[in-house]
This record gives sequence, C-alpha cells and structure tokens, in this order.
Amino acid sequence: MSSVLIKNEARLGLKLVAPAVGIIGLLVIYPILFNVYLSFFDVQLNGTKIFVGFDNYSELLGNPRYYNSIGISVVYLLGTVTGTTVLGLAAAILMNQEFHFRNLARGLILLPYFAPVISVVFGWQFIFDPVNGIYNHVMVDVLHLSDTRENMIGDPDSALFVVILFDIWKHFPIAYLLLLAKLQSVPKDLYEAAAIDGQNAWGRFWHVTLPELKFVIATVVLLRIIWNLNRFEDVFLLAPNVETLPIFTYYQAFSGVVDQGGAAAISVIQLLVLVGLIWLYVRKVLKW
Amino acid sequence: MSSVILRNVCKSYGNLPIVKSLNLEVKDGEFVVLVGPSGCGKSTTLRMVAGLEDITQGDVHIGDQVVNDLPPHKRNIAMVFQNYALYPHMSVRENIVFGLKKSGADATTIASKLADVSEMLKLNEYLDRKPADLSGGQRQRVAMGRALARDADVYLFDEPLSNLDAKLRHHMRTEIARIQHQYNMTAIYVTHDQVEAMTLGDRVVVMRDGIVEQVGTPMEIYLQPSSTFVATFIGSPAMNLIEAQVEDGELVFSGYRIPISKIANTSEADLQVYRKVLVGIRPDFFEDSQLTSPSDHLFEFGSVKVDLVENLGFDKEITFKFGQEEAKARLDLRSHIVREQVISLSVDLNRVLLFDTSSQGMLLNAGSL
Repeated sequence: MSSVLIKNEARLGLKLVAPAVGIIGLLVIYPILFNVYLSFFDVQLNGTKIFVGFDNYSELLGNPRYYNSIGISVVYLLGTVTGTTVLGLAAAILMNQEFHFRNLARGLILLPYFAPVISVVFGWQFIFDPVNGIYNHVMVDVLHLSDTRENMIGDPDSALFVVILFDIWKHFPIAYLLLLAKLQSVPKDLYEAAAIDGQNAWGRFWHVTLPELKFVIATVVLLRIIWNLNRFEDVFLLAPNVETLPIFTYYQAFSGVVDQGGAAAISVIQLLVLVGLIWLYVRKVLKW
Repeated sequence: MSSVILRNVCKSYGNLPIVKSLNLEVKDGEFVVLVGPSGCGKSTTLRMVAGLEDITQGDVHIGDQVVNDLPPHKRNIAMVFQNYALYPHMSVRENIVFGLKKSGADATTIASKLADVSEMLKLNEYLDRKPADLSGGQRQRVAMGRALARDADVYLFDEPLSNLDAKLRHHMRTEIARIQHQYNMTAIYVTHDQVEAMTLGDRVVVMRDGIVEQVGTPMEIYLQPSSTFVATFIGSPAMNLIEAQVEDGELVFSGYRIPISKIANTSEADLQVYRKVLVGIRPDFFEDSQLTSPSDHLFEFGSVKVDLVENLGFDKEITFKFGQEEAKARLDLRSHIVREQVISLSVDLNRVLLFDTSSQGMLLNAGSL
C-alpha cells in the first residue's frame, strides 16, 4: 500500500473509534481521574474542597471499620465465588447428561440469573422473616432444630451467610452456562480413551473433564471475584447491615457524616486491587 | 495375545438394527480388517469389542472369556481412535504411559516400554511436547504409541488414518503393517478405505447394512467376490457389470458372443436355468489386443470406441460403452490411445465372473485365484 493509502486508512480508523473513545473518556476515565483527585481533598457539603494530601488515606487505614469491611468482603468473596463455581459445575455436569425434558431443565436453571434483583430480594426477605418466614417455620416448627426463631437478616453475622447464599443462588447460572458450553465441546473419544486406559467415572472427571475445564473455571473464578468485589445492589437491598467494601464506601460517602474524600480514597484502593485482578485475567487466564 | 470371537452379535438402537447377527473369529496374531461404506456397522462392531457400546444380543469372547459385561479396561484391549483422542493437557510421554501407570506397572517396566515405543515410532524428540504442538502425523504416531505401550490382548483401530493426507496415510499404513508383523499382534482394524483393507489385512471382512457380505483373504475378496456389492466395492475403478443373455452356449451382450465353456469352472449345463446373467470384468483385466498374442482363453472385444482417456502416468483409464452401459478398462503406458479411437480389448476368460441378476450373488465358483 502506498503511504497515502495508509495515512487515509489511519485517519478513517481514528474517526471510527473516536465516538467510543469519547464515551469511555466521559463516562469512565473522567470519573476515575476525578475520584483520584477527590481522594486528596476534604469535600464540604457546599462543594468547597480543602486539600488534605494523604490525610484521607491515613485516616482510612486507621479506621477499624475499614478493616472489618475488608474481612467481610473476603468472607463474602470466598463464599460466593466457591459456591457459584462448585454449584455451577455440578449443574453443568448434570445438565450434560441425557434425560427427558433436558432442554426445559436447562432453561429453568437460568431463571434466577434473569430475575430482577429487587423482586427476588423481597422473596428472600419473606423466606427469612422471623415471624412468618418459611425458614424459621421449617427450622423451629417442623424439624425442631432450634427452639427460638432467629432474625437471620437482622443479625449482621447471620445476614452475611444469607447474603452469600442469595448470591450463589442468583449467580451460579452464569458459571453453569459458561461451564456447560465448554463441557459440550469436550470430545467423547477422550472419555472413551480414558475408560480403556482404566479410569472409572471419577478418574475420567479428574483426568479429562477438569483439565478441559481449567480455563473456563479460572475465568469464572476471576470474573466472579471482579464482579463481587464491586457487588452493591444485591447486598444493600437484601441486608444493608452487611458491610462489604462497596456498602462501607457508600455509607462513608452518602450517609451520616458525609465524607466524599474518604469514600474516594476507598474507591482508589479498590480500583488498584481490581486493576491487579484484571491484569491477571488478561495476562494469564486468557493466555492459557 | 488372544483370539477374538463374535457369536451372533447384534446391535440395535431402539428398533433400528445396526449390526445383524454377526459371526467372526479373529485368530491369535491375526490382522482382520472390517471394511464397508459409512453406516455399515463396522465401527459399531469394533466398539462392541472394546466395550464402548453394549451388546444387544450375542457374545463377544476375548481369549477364553466372554466379555459382554466387562468394562473396557477389564478387557485388556488397546485402541487407536480416528481423532487420536490424546489427552491435550498431558505431554507425549504422559499420554503414552498413562494407561500403563494406571494398570500398576512398575517404574522400570514403564521406562523400558516408553523407550521401546518412542524408539520404534521415532517419538524421542517430541516426548515433552503437548499434542497441540504436534502435526497430524505425529499425533497419529503418539496415539499408536499409547496403544502399543500396553501389553494388550487385542489392538483395535478405528479408521486411524482417515485424518491424514494421502502421502502420510501411505507412510503410516506401511508403519502399521510393519509393527503388526513385528509384534505379531491380534488386531481388528476398521476402515472405509479399500486400499488399507487390501494391504493390511490377513483377512478382510466386507460389511454392508449390518451384515457380513464376505470374509476372506484380500486376494479372495478381489478375485472371487461373493456378490456384486463386494465386487464393486473392492477395486478401483469398480468392476464392470454387464447384463448378458444366455443363448446357445454363449453369453451375448452388445454384439459380442462369449463361449460359456471357455469361462473358468463353468460349463454350458451350469447356466441352463438362466436366461440372463451379469458378467463381471475388472478394468484391470482388459488388455490392449495389439499387445497380446492370440490364445485360447483370451476373448477379444473388437471395435471398441474410446470415449475418454485418463492418463495417470503409468496407467491410463479408458472409458467406453458396452451397448448403453459405460465400462472402464485400465491399460498401461505401452498403449497409445486417444479419444474417439476404435480399438480392440482382450480379456482373460479365467478372470471373468458371473453373477445372478436377481440375487446379485456370484454364480458357481467362477474365477480362479
């Protein structure tokens, strides 16, 4: 190609990506930069900003509530990521077997993922309602496992457990979907070769299925970590007393003593963690 | 090593029969090739021997054991798959020894087996590679190596060469023949390629629609096909089949009259009950009359008009017509023939076969080996 053609092509390329770059810059880059900027200021309600240097950061790192919310986030991530991956894998293996009405079952499994958060949250709150909820009814009146009715969502410790369960239930279908897609593409003759090589069902799972799924499992785990590190609405709507990092940030920024500078500092730290995870995803997982 | 016996083996999916009462005995150290068109049940038969399909009816014996209800790994078989089925996350070395390890072989045995196999298949320099980093031919060799590393009673091959290009296929075919001979292994080999069937098999089993059409040595199959199906399936170009009237001790078609008494193993009395027969002549058995000296068992087809000449180098294929029916002859480079030319073709009447027009079966014991 002549240099004129190359130049023209480059110009066309720039024109084509310009709108996307503009939108991303406006909606993603600018807020991030502004957030970093804010984290160095004490922001007054009337809008005046006082430069405080790293005060927001040192204050944050000295705040026990911050560490508490990190702990809660870690438990939340461990529980939800493990739960969705394991349950998704189990469902995918089950739905890869031949049986009647399999397509119907495959579709039904996806329902929690598609249901609007707010409506299913109400459902879950009813389930765990201390007075009328089916959970307490079953535990106390039917199975007699407990003498007293527990307010599962009211108590932050047990609420964390409920929130984790809810997330597993709501989000395992995406793990299931990704894993099933890969499972269906595993060549049958690999299983046959393994059977001839003396592997029973467990051996075939371990030596054929798992290695074939390795990449997808890693993708699921990493994506779930990234998504759930930022998960706000599910937690906040179901049990606002479970202070994961995003909830803690929200309280810092918009409730009680409003501290937007402090909240910005939290976000910046979280952004760095996320960038690290995304780097891992792009550099390692995508290259397996 | 062991023999394999299939007795009245049937396989059906629901009401759809795939293999219909198949009987076959593979002797210890014998290489048997199952050949037939797609859907004839040859792969299903192999998979029933392997234990990858259950047997609807009948018995499969390996050695002196009925294996119907044994899982694949208890049958002591090894199998080479069409798509290789190598474990993608394992190195070549791990792929080869995977089954050996599982069978509880000790480290010394494993090491010496691995050395043997990789030496024989020239895999030494690839042992640490993953299957994804190998070419098709190399993967095929690893799949062979994995099977050979096992001291199996029976080796099963499911169209192992069908994914290779023509040149490599030829090469691997020779390799397989050499290895089979060297190990004296009992093997069942499935293919749709008649060349593989002819060149590899001690015996060839030709299958169609779930039944065995003929079992025999490659030369028996070629020279004395039991039916028109076998006659046309084996051999390329396919055998010419021409309908002829039986009249006054002669076979009459498109103006030619062949004396029945001159056809091998056939007398006029044998064909008394027939008014029509199918005459089968392989393209290979035609000769250019200019290059033959007249003899008693040669029959000459005069005034043959050549419709098409396909030069293949040493061979050339001639297309012409017997009446309305197209026929082919294979001559060699000594014949200088062009389109539209009128020539004479001779055929050795010992090689002419006769088939029943209705049953399509071979008549009498015509044709000599």
